[in-house]
Formats: sequence, structure tokens, C-alpha cells
Amino acid sequence: MTHLTDEQFELILQGAQSESDHLADCRLCQKRLAERKALADRLRSAFASIEPDKGLAERIRHRIDVVPDQAEPGRVRSLLDFHAHWKGWTAAFSAAAAVIVLVPLIMYFSTTSSASAAQAALVKIHEHNLSENHHFYSEADPEKLAAYLKGKLGFNLRLPQPGRGLALRGCCVRHFQDLIVGSYVVDTPEGVMSVVVVTDTPQMLGITGKFEFGGQTYYKSSFARMHMVSVRIGDYSYCAVGEISHQYLTDLLSRLLP
Amino acid sequence: MARRSQFEQVAMVHINAVYRAAYALCGRKDMADDLVQTTFLKAFEKFGSFKKGTNCKAWLIRILRNTWYDRLRRQRFERKQVPLDEQLVAEDLAVAETAWTDAEDILENFSDEQIIKALNRLPEEQRLTLYLIDVEGLSQQEVAEIMSVATGTVKSRTSRARMALKDQLASYARDMRLSRGDR
Repeated sequence: MTHLTDEQFELILQGAQSESDHLADCRLCQKRLAERKALADRLRSAFASIEPDKGLAERIRHRIDVVPDQAEPGRVRSLLDFHAHWKGWTAAFSAAAAVIVLVPLIMYFSTTSSASAAQAALVKIHEHNLSENHHFYSEADPEKLAAYLKGKLGFNLRLPQPGRGLALRGCCVRHFQDLIVGSYVVDTPEGVMSVVVVTDTPQMLGITGKFEFGGQTYYKSSFARMHMVSVRIGDYSYCAVGEISHQYLTDLLSRLLP
Repeated sequence: MARRSQFEQVAMVHINAVYRAAYALCGRKDMADDLVQTTFLKAFEKFGSFKKGTNCKAWLIRILRNTWYDRLRRQRFERKQVPLDEQLVAEDLAVAETAWTDAEDILENFSDEQIIKALNRLPEEQRLTLYLIDVEGLSQQEVAEIMSVATGTVKSRTSRARMALKDQLASYARDMRLSRGDR
């Protein structure tokens, strides 16, 4: 007696082959088919309860909103993977580094409409800082980090004083779309955050929740799951971004060293 | 706006299926969430090349699969671990068929989480193949296109995956004293 092959069982399960005469007579093959059916049914039922959290579709829509409607393939790709821009960038950057090249994010996003797009970009920069990033400069020493950033950007960024649970992780200076943006990452007792430094005002970035703290004006907002607080220092806005309370983000920005 | 509106109607409606497939691949909700976001952004980028009237869910899952394998390759390269290809070849190892007394009874004793965990222990290609056939109900031809392999490969891979999953669960059952000898 020739039993059904594995492939025949699969075809029967798929409904691509009708059950044969052999199957009607062979208890072994009937049992094997029943096992396969039971396993397939159980697998299907196990996944029935798996569904994304309700905010996922909205997060995708927000990220798509950052993309110009008539997107050129390269522009979207740069949102997904900054590595794509890195090749050939170094030479161009060397020339640009001689001047302050932090240009307004909003200039880019004016074509896409929205302040929320600028906030999505800030979130994206933070997410990218936390991803496996070949171009992330890991350095915990504030002096070395400051020197590196000054070398790249041409001016002194303000950094927090390590201690009290704060530790600098490093920084990233890179192309974001056609812009060069500097940011650094801080580990805090409440989680990890990025401080992104841009020339746009907080209002231009859509961070409009104005409030006072320690005699200084701050702005706050939330985007997706992220909170952000921004403060204007000199010609730059320091935007703290992370899944951390507004209060803590504000406290950290208030302690940036000159 | 037309492009976004079309993308919303044609692609975004498959978000649950893509998420489940991502979860089947990576086994973690946070990673699945991130993988799905990347997949849909890539899909939006490539939406111009999507042929109207073809299976958009299969198209999205192909992008998902490629994105996931790119990540695995990058991670393994960076960690200098076993190349992905070597793991994929592991699927060719024969799996001895385990005898169950009453498959349905035994399967009902596993939680959904245990079933998914057992699936996650299969080699990448087996896992996705079995998931697409059994859970998403795609045809062997559709899965072959997603996986870029011949239909015959899908047939044999599905069968091996099913046996490997059964073996995993039998092992769990023994641990849970559900196997024949302990009942």
C-alpha cells in the first residue's frame, strides 16, 4: 500500500487536491491528515488575537505625511535609512563644516505643510539615534563631546552636566534630508532622550505649549508616544525628545551648561 | 493627495495582516511595530510600481520579508554571527515525525503564546512559509512569489515546517506531562 506523500497532504489541506480513495481506506493517512489539519487550525486561532496597538496606523500616517506627496524614491529612502546618504557625504560635509550649517528644518517641511511634520522629523532623529547607527559618535565625556560637535558644527552646543543619574551617550551630526542636524543622546533615570539643536524657533516646529520655568520660556508638545520640550538659547532651539515626562525634559534643559 | 488616498485604500487596510506576519517573524510586539512602520514607508515609496489588481497583501509581505532579512543580515554581520544563509539551510535537516494520540486534545492544552513561541523556534524561511499558508491562507504560488522560490520548494518547506512545529509542540507536551506515556 502506498501512503500519501507529504506534498499530497499539503495539497489536500490547501484544497488543491480532493481526498483520494486511498485516504478513505487508510486509517494511518486519515490520522496524519487530521493531525495536520488540527495543527493548521490551532496555528490560525493562536494568531487570531494578535493585532497591532491602535496607534500604529496613525504613526504610519504621520511618517508618510513627512514624505512629499510626489515623493522621489531617494527622498523617502533617506527617511528610512540615513546610511544611504552617508557615502560621498564626507567630502561635501568638510566644506560645509566651515560654516554653521544647521538650517531650519521648517524650510524643508514648508513644502509638506505642517508643524507636525517637523515634530515627526524630530522623533525620527531621536529614533535613529537609538537604532544601530554606524555614524553615531559614542562619547560620555562632555568635554570631548563638545569638542567633537564644535568641530563638526562650528559652534559650542550646550550640554547637561553628567551626574545625578545623567550620562551622555554620544552624538550624531548628519544629513537629514538636505539639512545637517546635530543632536546628542542622554541617559537619564527616567529613560533615554535626544537633544536636537536647530535654528527654527519652537513655534515654527509646532511646539507651541508655552510655559515658564525658572524665569525662562519653554514650549512643549507631544507627538506619537514622544514628548518634547524646547527652549530658545541664543540663535538655537534645543529640543529635548523622548518618552519622558515634560517636567523631566524641562528640568534637564534648564540645567544645560553654557 | 490621490496617491496617499489610494495607498490608504489599497495598502493600509492590510495593516493587521502585515503586523501579524511581522510578529510571526520577530516574535516581539515592539519590533513588529517598528518593522511594520518601515514596511509601510517603503511600500509608500514603491507604490508607483505596485500593479493594480494584484494581491497587495502579498506585495506588502514581500517588502516586510525583505526588510526583516536585511535587518538580520546587518545584525549578523555586525555581530559576526552565523550567516543568515547557514541558518536558512538548517531547514533541510530532516525532522522525525512524532506520533500523537489525539492531536486536537493535545493542541488545546497549549496557550496561544506557546503555539507562537514554538513557531518562532523554526528557521526563518520555514516559519514565514507555514505562517503564510496556514494563517494568512495564501496559495503556494503566492508564497513562492513572496519568498522568491519555486512552488515545489514551498510545498516541501511547508511540510517540513509543519513537522518541525509538531515536534516542538510534542517536546513541550512531554514537558507538560501531556504525552501519551503520562496520561
